[in-house]
Amino acid sequence: MELLTVAGATLVSAAVVVTLYSLGVRFTAIAADAQQTSPRVKRSFANICFALCGAAVLFGLYLIIPYFTK
Amino acid sequence: MVALVIGLALFFDFTNGFHDTANAMATPIATGAIKPRTAVALAAVLNLVGAFLSTEVAKTVSGGIIREGSGGVQITPDIIFAGLMGAVLWNMATWLKGLPSSSSHALFGGLIGAAIVGVGFSSVNLETLLQKVILPAVFAPVIAGLSAYVCTRLAYALTSRQDPETGTKLTQKRGGFRTGQVFTSSLVALAHGTNDAQKTMGIITLVLIAAGTQAPGSGPQLWVITACALAIAVGTYAGGWRIIRTMGSGLTEVKPAQGFAAETSTASSILASSHLGFALSTTQVASGSVIGSGMGRRGTTVRWNMVGKIALGWIFTLPAAGIVGALTALLVKTGVVGVLIAAVAGSAAILFMFFYSRKSSVSHQNAVEVEEAGQAVRFAKKKALARARAEAKAKAQADAGATNPKENQRLSGWNS
Repeated sequence: MELLTVAGATLVSAAVVVTLYSLGVRFTAIAADAQQTSPRVKRSFANICFALCGAAVLFGLYLIIPYFTK
Repeated sequence: MVALVIGLALFFDFTNGFHDTANAMATPIATGAIKPRTAVALAAVLNLVGAFLSTEVAKTVSGGIIREGSGGVQITPDIIFAGLMGAVLWNMATWLKGLPSSSSHALFGGLIGAAIVGVGFSSVNLETLLQKVILPAVFAPVIAGLSAYVCTRLAYALTSRQDPETGTKLTQKRGGFRTGQVFTSSLVALAHGTNDAQKTMGIITLVLIAAGTQAPGSGPQLWVITACALAIAVGTYAGGWRIIRTMGSGLTEVKPAQGFAAETSTASSILASSHLGFALSTTQVASGSVIGSGMGRRGTTVRWNMVGKIALGWIFTLPAAGIVGALTALLVKTGVVGVLIAAVAGSAAILFMFFYSRKSSVSHQNAVEVEEAGQAVRFAKKKALARARAEAKAKAQADAGATNPKENQRLSGWNS
């Protein structure tokens, strides 16, 4: 049972972090395109993705550290 | 005797940090995302912090595997000393032979072997051993590998860019993952601290319990946590210099996106396991991730015999270290002379290892343990892929070159 928890937590957390970061990378790439009409919007989307990714990591750590959850 | 065991345990912790820095920090240094000096310092600090985060694994080691007493079987500091010595000796042997091994499993093996010989079969809590050490050892690398596979696929799918009109590939611009690797590597270093430093804490706590200075079933004391955290951090910092020396020799080809996925999987599976008190081998998990992410990339085949060789090394570690631990326990049981012989043999082995490591040239094979796993995935179709890419590139350049010379330049940064 605990093994399944580890499996689920690993898959979900890694997938979330990678998805968000990849989207961020993609938006950065789009924003840098020469023909892009609204690079600033795309850039802010990218930054939002990076911020969410960081937040996801921090939330994961928050769950783990006993100091916060006690 | 207690002081001797604590010293030996801290030394074990130091070597653990010494060996494992490379696993976490080698890739971002190799891709130039972070300066070596900064990376090593960062890894050391994060190991220190990680060691303070959780004590679940330490409790598994100190309270779970060996029944420490209170009506049951009484384990003595001598037995723990024998187990630890067994682990150190086995580690040295595998390291000299270049066999893939796990220092964590050597530790458990040595301890279990010594306990069985010194006290008897009843002293080992088989249920906890199975639940918290053996099953996770098999399961965690597989999970990390699976997760790395999925994540690599995800990362590549999400960032692959094609021109909507012509269908040709645009520049992928995955360079952002290089920066991301700084963070994922930091997480791996943190995870390493939460799992590996704990094992030493568990051993020291077990000794204190066995010596009667601490109540059975209680967690590690603050000074134990601090000492272990410092030992692993110093070891990490000291070991880091070896990587810097090896940077010229090149690593297995791992693309930033792939490395990002692998490291995220490693960090999350270790952190999740640490939280539940599973004592894992971080090297094994990292290896699983590297193999998984390699499979996630296009045009790769797995060298299964290489994977088999690695797996065999893992399987052998626990019983083999157990036998060495058992032999040491037999020696220690004979009395003071036996303890003295074991101590002398052990320190001689450690000294020999130290001088041998200074003398021998450091290559990336012995600096990066995950390297083996990297070799298990072969990029067979790489040439074919490169050729196809070059053709597409030439075609795209021919199309775009006429209208937009700037586009031309951008396309030449194809692989970044």
